[in-house]
Amino acid sequence: MSQTTQKIDPPNIAARADSASKIYGNGESEVRALDNVSVSFERGKFSAIMGPSGSGKSTLMHCIAGLDSLTKGKVFIGETDLSGLSDKEITKLRREKVGFVFQSFNLIPTLNAHENITLPLSLGKSKGDKDWIQQVIDTISLNDRLDHRPSELSGGQQQRVAVARALATRPEIIFADEPTGNLDSKSGGDILKFMRRAVTDLKQTIVMVTHDAVSASYADRIVFLSDGHVAGEMTNPTPEKVLDYLKHLGE
Amino acid sequence: MFRLSLKMTLSRRGRLLLTSLAIILGTSFLSGTTIFSDTINSTFDRLFTDVFRDVDAYVRSTDSVDTGFGDQRAPSPISALETIFGVEGVSAAVGDMQSYARVINKDGKPLGEDQGPPTFGGIASESSAGLWSVEDGRLPVGPEEMMLDRETAEKGKFEIGDSVRVNALSGTREFTLVGIANYGDVSSPGGATFALFDQPTASEFLLKPGFVDAFLIKGDGTLSDEELAEAIDAALPADAKLETLTGAEITEETTSQIKIVLGFFTAFLTAFSFIALGIGCFVIYNVFSITAAQRQRESALLRAIGASRRQVTVSLLVEALIVGLIGSVIGFITGIGLSQALSALLNAIGLEIPTKGLTINTDAIVQTVSIGTLITILSAILPALRSGRVPPLAAFQDTALDTVQKLTRRVAIGLVLIIAGAVALIASINGASVTILGLGVLGVFAGVLVLGPALSKPIAMLLGKPVAMLRGVTGAMSQQNAARNPKRTARTAAPVLIGVALVTAFTALAASVKNEIRETIGSSFRGDYALSVNSRGFGGIPVSVTDQIDQLNEVDQATGVGFIAAKVGDESPFVLVFNPKTSKDLYDLEMLSGKQSDLKKTEILVEADKADEKNLKVGSSLQVTLVDGRSILMTVAGTFKDAYGNYAFSRELFEDSTSPLFDSFVYIKVAEGVNDESARTAISAISSDLGIGTLESRDEYIDTQAAQVDQFLALIYGLLFLSVIIAIVGIIITLLLSVFERKREIGLLRAVGMTRSQVRTMVRWESVITSLFGAVTGVVLGILTGIVIVVSLNESGFSAFTLPIVNTLYILLGAFVIGVIAAVFPAWRATRTEIISAIASA
Repeated sequence: MSQTTQKIDPPNIAARADSASKIYGNGESEVRALDNVSVSFERGKFSAIMGPSGSGKSTLMHCIAGLDSLTKGKVFIGETDLSGLSDKEITKLRREKVGFVFQSFNLIPTLNAHENITLPLSLGKSKGDKDWIQQVIDTISLNDRLDHRPSELSGGQQQRVAVARALATRPEIIFADEPTGNLDSKSGGDILKFMRRAVTDLKQTIVMVTHDAVSASYADRIVFLSDGHVAGEMTNPTPEKVLDYLKHLGE
Repeated sequence: MFRLSLKMTLSRRGRLLLTSLAIILGTSFLSGTTIFSDTINSTFDRLFTDVFRDVDAYVRSTDSVDTGFGDQRAPSPISALETIFGVEGVSAAVGDMQSYARVINKDGKPLGEDQGPPTFGGIASESSAGLWSVEDGRLPVGPEEMMLDRETAEKGKFEIGDSVRVNALSGTREFTLVGIANYGDVSSPGGATFALFDQPTASEFLLKPGFVDAFLIKGDGTLSDEELAEAIDAALPADAKLETLTGAEITEETTSQIKIVLGFFTAFLTAFSFIALGIGCFVIYNVFSITAAQRQRESALLRAIGASRRQVTVSLLVEALIVGLIGSVIGFITGIGLSQALSALLNAIGLEIPTKGLTINTDAIVQTVSIGTLITILSAILPALRSGRVPPLAAFQDTALDTVQKLTRRVAIGLVLIIAGAVALIASINGASVTILGLGVLGVFAGVLVLGPALSKPIAMLLGKPVAMLRGVTGAMSQQNAARNPKRTARTAAPVLIGVALVTAFTALAASVKNEIRETIGSSFRGDYALSVNSRGFGGIPVSVTDQIDQLNEVDQATGVGFIAAKVGDESPFVLVFNPKTSKDLYDLEMLSGKQSDLKKTEILVEADKADEKNLKVGSSLQVTLVDGRSILMTVAGTFKDAYGNYAFSRELFEDSTSPLFDSFVYIKVAEGVNDESARTAISAISSDLGIGTLESRDEYIDTQAAQVDQFLALIYGLLFLSVIIAIVGIIITLLLSVFERKREIGLLRAVGMTRSQVRTMVRWESVITSLFGAVTGVVLGILTGIVIVVSLNESGFSAFTLPIVNTLYILLGAFVIGVIAAVFPAWRATRTEIISAIASA
């Protein structure tokens, strides 16, 4: 069973999964983490993927982002079909077209904040767009801490650096995996507002995996996942609407 | 708790494997050298037990000089045989001889190598007391017949009826081969070659007519060996200066003399096996430190659920015990193979040592396993104590991997050690003993190793700078990774440091010695050609041949120089013997007082420093005892600058002696107007007829002599090779553990766009920087050590330090290559890091 999601005009699709399945093990012990999932994410929007533990939301994100491969089906970043790419090509694609923010351990401890922000660019031996990078740094307001190592930054500051790194290459799409999961509510709120601004003001595309209704309410659209299937979706969410939907989903 | 730690140890096969690898390598060299030494010793034990198996009593001269490598003894007159035969209880007696004789092969070259097993001439007799039995043909009779031992006959493809040329004291002669002999049960003792003659021929050709080395006696069974020896002793006239030993005594004495020589050698090998073991210790300690840090959470969890500090500490020590035992046992087994490799190495550089079979003593097993286990446990003590101190709360925190260490105390201790070492070194430069020198070197080494963690960060950052510039952010991360944990980097680099320092020091030392040899020969040798043999103090160029060359029309003058054991005052040195009449303008002793050409028969020359030490001046008297039994009060006739020896005799002293006299080298000056070709042809005619010796021009000769140092250096390099392997493995282990530890970091880097080849580059350069840190520090330390040793041993013959620039560059290049090689597997592992599991393991 697959529930079709909102139709988006192809030119506006930043990333999509097409009948994506991810199966672990085989025979008796077979686990279907993703079962024939088709979903698209719109360019210039802030999308969220929600679902309980084990629903497949992280797996979906990893597969679309080119960190993991599918058992069946296809994923696209923009127009590019990831299934036909070599490890080297996928790496290059992640470096240039995808940004990442993880829940924790986002930064390289031996590099300072600025070096961490420009890391994907440096790996590609490119200088990047200086003005853009400065604009990003200004937005996260960490100008005075750029030469600090991650161990000298607070958890919230570290996540801000991580978001800045994800933005630095001006990627097609940014994936954020529970970016506020390890933060107190104040710092978490800052990060979410900052991501919201990146979408609204800087015209970026973000897909965020979360299980928190408040976090999800910052998004333009939420895709709900359950047992490896798309269970539904919601546009213009509020925390109340999301909680209500989740209650309904649990029944 | 014991069972728990046993389970925990065995469940981590990777860690177990890495730790054991370090122990296996460390102990295998120890086991290898022990087995090798045991095998040599038992080979000689068996040999001499075999050789003297049928000998009940042994008569020899009481005149001897102890050379430090066994006695040199005067010959005995064959006339004593009659007296011995007259003793009741003697059933057979025969003269025995083991003198220098060299068989010349059919192609005109001497059989066996210059550096190979000794070449002997001996007596073959029908007497049942003799050591040789006829295997084929018959015993030689008269001055034109001989036998060969079976192995030599086979090697030279000689058959009965062939004519064989043999070189000995009285020159080179041709004999007819009439028989093939066996020595006890073996075809040839220890690979030595034997040419056998009847007694009168042997005495006349090899030694001096009427003399033999000793007598072998067989009893008729009525007396015990002790009673027989006593009876013979009683029968020998008191003024004959002969003594009688039992068969057991002579076996024991011969074996123990050989063992003194072997002892030096095995002690040398053992020293290197302990260097390898020490280097292994660093690796083991490093592995335990890193794994203890990595399992901080596990230790904390144990503490949180109620384990005491002691229990946590003990659990790690139990792991060390298990790994130590397993590693040492495997190390012992690998050592068996290594002992064969050692044998091959010695053969390869021309130091052939006969070994038969393989001797594995229980002592060797016990020693290897107990030392291996002990050092493993010792290496684990500090990390074990540290993990006992982990607070239970650490179980719920992120592991603190990059702890900032306080280095103040370390720097203080390191500096104190270095200063103490430096003081000792300065003292030794000013004449303190070699022990002080050794302690000084040890102190500086220890100090540098203690200081290591304080040095590793700045030096790694410096070495990494060009890498960061060339390789961008990847290189910068290599640089940072090499510097991020200074203690770990220092411990990983320590084996490289020690290895490189030793290699550099020995290389510098060798270069200096070579230079010294060139200068010494250059200033003393004034001729055009040199004829030399490398016979290691046994045999050489008969002096009669030297005189023959001197008489050639093409030759203006030729003079020979030889060495002989003697007791001089309270010392037993090898004394230089030269011909004062012919040495003028050819062999210059660089006299400081007296005149070289005026040396009389009973006068002696003394090296200048030795003369100062012994307070000897021209005109002083010096008591000298020669191997042939003569005791002479000699007069000091002059002092000379350092040369091959501390004392010099005139050749005249041995004119009527029973001691065989050989020259080790002959210096030749050609007559005016004779060109190179005709000079070589004329001299070669004699030397090739002789079958031995190498004729070289002055320059060639100097090159060859200096190159002899290379053989020693090759041995040292070979022995240090295993230490290099351990150093490489040490880097591999550390890198593997670091890669494992930085799994999330690598996963993150891969996620944000680092390609696999960039990951490889990152790990490779970290490895190279670490290795180079060790090498650079080691080179500096090695050169300083070399300088100090050369300068402080100045009196013993060194005068200048030579820096081997090219070799030093090769060593640094080697360290670079080591870094690259060591990184191959860890880098591959790093590229296999699963991104998802790395970033998901929050």
